[in-house]
Parts: sequence; C-alpha cells; structure tokens
Amino acid sequence: MARIPAAYLVNRLITLVLTVLIASTLIWIIPRLSPVDPADIMLGRMSAAGGTVADSEAILATLQERFGLNDPLWAQYLLYLRNVLLFDFGLSTASFPTPVSVLIANALPWTIGLMLISVVITFIIGNVLGALMVWDHSPKLVRVAIPAAMVFTSIPPILSGLLLIWLFAATLQWFPIAGSYGLLVEPGWSWEFVGSVIHHGFLPALSIVVVTFGFWALGMRGLMITVQGEDYTKLAEAKGLRPRYILYRYMIRNAILPQITAFALKVGLLIAGQVLVERIFAYNGMGKLLYDAILNQDFPVIQGVSYVIILMTALSVFLVDLIYPFVDPRIRHGRA
Amino acid sequence: MTVLEIKNLSIDFPIAKGVVHAVSDFTLNVPQGRRIGFIGESGSGKTTTALAAMRMLAAPGRIAEGEIHLMSLGQTNIIKLTDDEMRRVRLRKISYIPQGAMNSLNPVMRVENQIWDGIIAHEGAVSMAELRRRSKAVLESVGLADHVGRLYPHELSGGMKQRVCIAIGVCLQPDLIIADEPTSALDVITQRHVMQTLRKVQETIGAGLILIGHDMGLMAQSVDDLAVMKLGELVEFGPVRQVLEAPKHPYTRQLISSVPVVGGQSFLDNPPAAAVADTTPARTVPLLEFEGVAKTYGSNTALHTLSFKLDDGVPKIISIVGQSGSGKSTMGSLMLGFSAPSNGRVLFQGRDINRLSAAERMAFRKDVQAVFQDPYACFNPFYRVDHALAYPFKRFGLARSPAHTREEMEKACRTVGLNPALVLRRYPHQLSGGQRQRLIVARALMLSPKLLIADEPVSMVDASLRATILKNIYDLKDKQGISILYITHDLATAYHVSDYVMVLYRGHVVEAGPPKAVIGDPQHDYTRLLIDSIPWPDLDRNWGSADDARADLDRLDPVAANPIFRGAVAGFELATA
Repeated sequence: MARIPAAYLVNRLITLVLTVLIASTLIWIIPRLSPVDPADIMLGRMSAAGGTVADSEAILATLQERFGLNDPLWAQYLLYLRNVLLFDFGLSTASFPTPVSVLIANALPWTIGLMLISVVITFIIGNVLGALMVWDHSPKLVRVAIPAAMVFTSIPPILSGLLLIWLFAATLQWFPIAGSYGLLVEPGWSWEFVGSVIHHGFLPALSIVVVTFGFWALGMRGLMITVQGEDYTKLAEAKGLRPRYILYRYMIRNAILPQITAFALKVGLLIAGQVLVERIFAYNGMGKLLYDAILNQDFPVIQGVSYVIILMTALSVFLVDLIYPFVDPRIRHGRA
Repeated sequence: MTVLEIKNLSIDFPIAKGVVHAVSDFTLNVPQGRRIGFIGESGSGKTTTALAAMRMLAAPGRIAEGEIHLMSLGQTNIIKLTDDEMRRVRLRKISYIPQGAMNSLNPVMRVENQIWDGIIAHEGAVSMAELRRRSKAVLESVGLADHVGRLYPHELSGGMKQRVCIAIGVCLQPDLIIADEPTSALDVITQRHVMQTLRKVQETIGAGLILIGHDMGLMAQSVDDLAVMKLGELVEFGPVRQVLEAPKHPYTRQLISSVPVVGGQSFLDNPPAAAVADTTPARTVPLLEFEGVAKTYGSNTALHTLSFKLDDGVPKIISIVGQSGSGKSTMGSLMLGFSAPSNGRVLFQGRDINRLSAAERMAFRKDVQAVFQDPYACFNPFYRVDHALAYPFKRFGLARSPAHTREEMEKACRTVGLNPALVLRRYPHQLSGGQRQRLIVARALMLSPKLLIADEPVSMVDASLRATILKNIYDLKDKQGISILYITHDLATAYHVSDYVMVLYRGHVVEAGPPKAVIGDPQHDYTRLLIDSIPWPDLDRNWGSADDARADLDRLDPVAANPIFRGAVAGFELATA
C-alpha cells in the first residue's frame, strides 16, 4: 500500500483544526446573542425552590462574577478557547456545581457504545440489502422481502421504540423496559455487568437499526444501479467472471465509496441524534444529557455537548480522509 | 474452418407499446482467422447481434428465433447453454472488447489484477509466478510495458486503456474476438495504433474477429468481409473489396459516399466559391484576438505562446486540428473565457474577456456561442428540449412575446433542416444524437452570435449525419455571416469547410495555412502523420503496421521548433513566440 503524501496529511490536519475552531467559536457566540442571563435563571430556580432568596442582588453579582460574565467579551472568548482545549466547560448550571466535563464523561461511553454499534450494524445491513436489491442473481425472496421491510423506515423512531417496548419488554418481558444496566449490578468489568449492558442496550439499538437501515439501503440501491450500468461491470460479465466475484470486487467495491463519506458525517450527528430513543428507554447517554440541558437552559452543558458533537464529526471526517486514499486509488493523485 | 455460425437469428425487445424487432433473420458464418466488419448506423442492430453471441443482451431483449453455434464446443447451440456454461464460454471462447475505452476498467483495481481475475475465473488456481508471466506476456503483445500492469486505470491514457482491454480479450486465446467500436473515442493517430495492435494479436492467435463500427474508412483498412446492417437486417455481405467497389444496396452506397475524403468530392452542396477578396478596409478592432496567450497547468504547458487576430470583415472558418492532448480544446476554453490564460490576453472586440463588467459579460456570452462534442450531455434530461432553446433567448432579452420565441425556435429548427413538429416539445432522450446536435446548432443560431466555437461537433454522431451537421455549421458562415472556430481531429472535414487551418501538436502550432496547402500537401512530419493515420475507404492504401504507428510517434519527439506557415488569408494573422 502506498503511503499518504505529507502535503495531503497536512492539508487535512489544517482542515480539521479550522473546522473545530470555527464551529466552537459559533457555539460560543450563539448563546451570547440570547437575551437570557444564566445567572438570572439560577436565581430563579433557587427562589422557586426556597420561596424567597435573601440578598438576591448580591448573589446575582457573585454568580455573574463567578461565571466571568463581567469580563470583556474578548477575554471571555480567549478564556473559552483555553478551556475548550482543556475540555473544561465549567460547571453545569442545572446540576450545580457538577463540572460539565464530568457529566459528559459519564454519558459519552454509553452513547458511543450504543450508537456506534447500532450505526455500524445499520450501515452493514443497509448496504448489503441495498446491493442485493440490485444484483441480478439475488434470491427472489430477498428481492421481494427487502422492499417490504422498507416499511419500517417510514415509522418515526419514537413509535418504533414504543412498539418494541410494548412487544418485547412489556408483553413478552424478554428485555428490560428502561435503563442502561440492571439496578442490582455493580458497574465494572464483570461478565454480569457486560451481560446486563447488552441486555439493556438491545432494544434501543434495535429501534435505531430498524428505522435507519432504509437510509443506507436506498442510497446503496441508487449507487449500485449506476455501477451496474458502468462499462467495467459489463466487461466483467463479458470476461466470464463468477457473479459473486463481480458483486464484491466490481459492484459493491465501487458503489460503497460515497457511502463511506456519508457514514463519517453521520457518526458525529448520531452522538446527539438519537435524543428521543435515549429518552424513551431512559438511557443515560449524550442525547438525554442534551435534552435535559435544553429543557433547563443549561448553557455550559449545551456548549460542551455541541463541542463534543463537532469534535466527533470533524474527527470521523478526518479519519475517512485518511482511509480514503487506500480505498480509492484515484484520490492519491488528486489535488492534495 | 468456421468458428461461429449464426443461423436465422431474430432478436426482439418487448416494450410497453408492443415488440421492437431489433434484429430479424440474420445469418452469418465467421471463419477462423477472418475479420468481419459489422457496419451500420446506431440502432441498426449490429451491437445487439454481437451481444447475442455473448448472450449478454440488454434487458428486455431476448432471442426470439434462431441458433448460434460455437464450433469448438462441438457445434453446441449456445442459446441452449446454462448460465454457468455460458459464463465459461465468455473470454475463453468468445471475448469482447467494449466501446467505452475510458470507462471499461474497474477504477479501484490494478490493471494486472483485472487480467488475472479473468484467468482465474476460467482456469481455477494458478500460481502467482504463472499469473505474472502471463500478464507480462499479454501486455507485451499489445505493446505495453510490464510496469503498466501495476498501474490503476486512471493513470493510463485512452489508447493505453483500450490496449489493456485488448490484452484482456486475448489473454485466453479465444476462438472469436468481438470488438465493439474499439477506437471510436480515440483520435486518428491513436486509432491507427490500437487498430493495428488488435489486428496483430488477432493474427497471432488466429482468432476470428467481428469488428463493429460505423466508419467505412476504418472498415476498409481493417477487415476482410463486410456485413452492412440497416434496421436489424443484413442488407449486404461480401468481401470488403467487392462491397466497396461494387456496392449492391443503395444504403451501402450512401455509407460509402458519406465519408469525407481529402481532395475528393466535397460533401457541401455549394462548394466554397473562390475566396472572395476581402474588400472591406481592415478594421482597427479585430473580432477575436489572442495576445501572446499561453496556458500552463502546474508544470505542464498545454498551450505555448501564440498570437492571432481574426477580423470581423468577411466571416471565416478557422480550423484547429490535432490529437487529444494537443491543446486544441484548451484553446477553445480560453476563447470562451472558461479558463484564463497564464500569460497574455484574450480579446473579444478589443476587450479582455477576463475583465468584463457584468453587462459586457452578458453581451459576450450572447455573441460567442459554443457547440460541444457530446450531444447527449448538452441537454438537461429533466426539461423538454424547448427549454434549451427558449431559455437563453429570453435571458438575453431577445424574446418579444411567447409567440415570437416560438416562431424563432421553429425558424431555427428549419434552418438546420429539422421539422419543428417532430423535435420540439420532446425530451432529449426521445431524440437521436444527430437531432440533438442539430438542435444545439439551432440554439446557437437563435442568438445571432458573431462567433461560434465548435469543439468536435460531429465526432460522436453517425458518419452519415456528419456531413449534414457540418453543412449546417458551414451555412452559419455562408448564410448567417458568423465566423467559426472549428476544433477537430478530423482533417478531412477541416479540409472541406475551413478557410484556414492550424495544426497543433503538444501545445505548439506546427503548421498553418489554407487547407489546400496544409492538408492537401502537408510539409510538417506531424501533419503528414495525422493525414496518414486517417483510415480512407481506399483498399490499396498501406495503412502501416502497429510498429509503424508506434515508430511514427517516437520519431516525432522532440517537436520541430519552427512552425511552417503555408500562406495567409486576408483577415487572419497568426504568430507564435
């Protein structure tokens, strides 16, 4: 395998850094355009809890001081950039005084585990089915069954989730109704815990797979039809190659290329994209964290989660850029 | 000995409105070692017949009747073989060399892998050393070095790709090779090289060859027997000399007469009268001017420094000829302002076209129109063709009313010889390539431009239609007074239509002057090579061997520094740096 040219690598790295920098600047600016003062909100919450708050003016001033809201904007921005580099997003205003980084650190592994596994499974199932829909030698049953299965794609995820809970958790009681792991299980690297995590994660993962595989299948179907009409596929047939070999090496191999790019863009979004699924299954991931933060106008958490989403998207695009020259030889000689 | 016998073959395409009989009652034998040409226009059934022998008909085509016997398989009727038995016949017994040289190789596989997978599919496990030895040998037989095997398709030129396809086609020494317009996308010099290579390897392995094409000249230089097809029927068959010298069917005569020949009878009804002396005093501002223009891409020079002035007195057709990579299309894109020169200026009516104001740019776009090579890609498939004609007309503010637009559209269609009732209100896919290309000319005509850039306007249409379209273009100059820059690799047509010819080679002008001198009596080696490479329908002419074709190219390098100027025409001045 050829090496990646240095110029190409440098170019992609600059793109990565610039993307993250610009996007994190945007998520810093947007909340500041909002008329809501987070210190006000905290105070409001305190007074709602305790009736009246003595010295509310003084507390407000202290809070504003503590959040750095009195500093000039540029100082706030520079401080923010420094903090972003250190993954320090300050303290949550809703679950004060827990640091945002702790909240994210607690939620992220669950989301990455659940979403990454389900999105990889979806990607594989969707693309294989999409390819089989086009392939001339697919079994008849497959070609009839797949379009029928596509019906699931039109179901909103919230409904499919409820349906699965009703069927497999409430009625059949094969899987637990909610949570990320059993209440009686001690978290740690034990078989019992891992088993419990898989047991709890199965339904949320299934609900994601069921509603999203159609996206990949339909995209793949379109790409496969294009590749099927290409001269090189016809020549492959004229060469008397085995149909299965043509499917793998000539058709899927070429049709999958744009799907890989789409996959990279999806990964970042999925970190936060399945808010409703996490809500329904009371799954303690990033989606639930973001959902709660928005409800409570918890700006530091919103900022932190948004930053993680950006970082994930940019990193997965960067990774695909690094992988691409190996899967598509034409890239290597293109403009770096 | 016969290798393939086609008996009473009929092929049907069932469609919604009934059945199209693509081929009817076709009977033909292919003897061992003999080359047979299938000639006819698109839609004549020549490719369909050949694909039937591969059992690779496009859906929904089916063989309605007849038998195809492969002699080396004990006269088996291949229509009766199972799919897997047929798969084993392909490449091993009958191989296929496809038309689209540019796109026939899998872009993500190395060339040698695409030779090996064919061998493995038919012979099972073969040792790595044996595979290497065989791919090297087969690449050598088509004149490619061993290292080409380790390249990816995008690293090869069009001619190299097509030679790789030939290498794949002969690697298992089949009984029959079917080559479907193997050179239609290549320029004449590469065409000669590829065609001679194909002949050489076919003779070496002693296979029969079916060559599909629509170019009578190429057939005359390449095949032994000629089968002329029209509307799915075999209208004439015989030795190529007999068919060419004493054609029996009127359609065959029409095909032969449609080939433009240098120095021969002009295909224009009104051959250009002796050039009218340019009596108008030379204007101070030329219509189009290149002022020391050069174009480089990175470290490659696509066009070396060149200056010319085209006056807007008497309209003229200036031809720019050369093979692919000669810089002729670069010149076209510079003239249209699609790319900016690296040095110098391109002036239209005295203004630098790369520094125009928005209003001047609008006027420039109206005054300078283009006709491109691919009539299929020039229309948006989602709109009726009317859109392509009417939209620019309205956009440039020429339309007075919908009725006026309609009237002008119909007038333009009639000018290019199309019946408006048959072509307007249609979608592009409902029209033939020839109709589409004439509509593109009509579209340009509606805008009453001052200059037309025609970049290979006829290289993708059937030979019999080329003359008609070129005549349309010629009439633009003759009757509408539009000057034309005709970019082409086809010297025979340039000879007939142009007032002045420039021959480009690797970005240099090598020879320029009136066509009677430059093409009729070439002085530069490269011009001579271009003209020698044209396949004429002349059986006694020596088209050279594959080695000649290669040696000719090698001999040309490096380029002679000094261009040869062969006389001038009034109103056009050319200079090189």
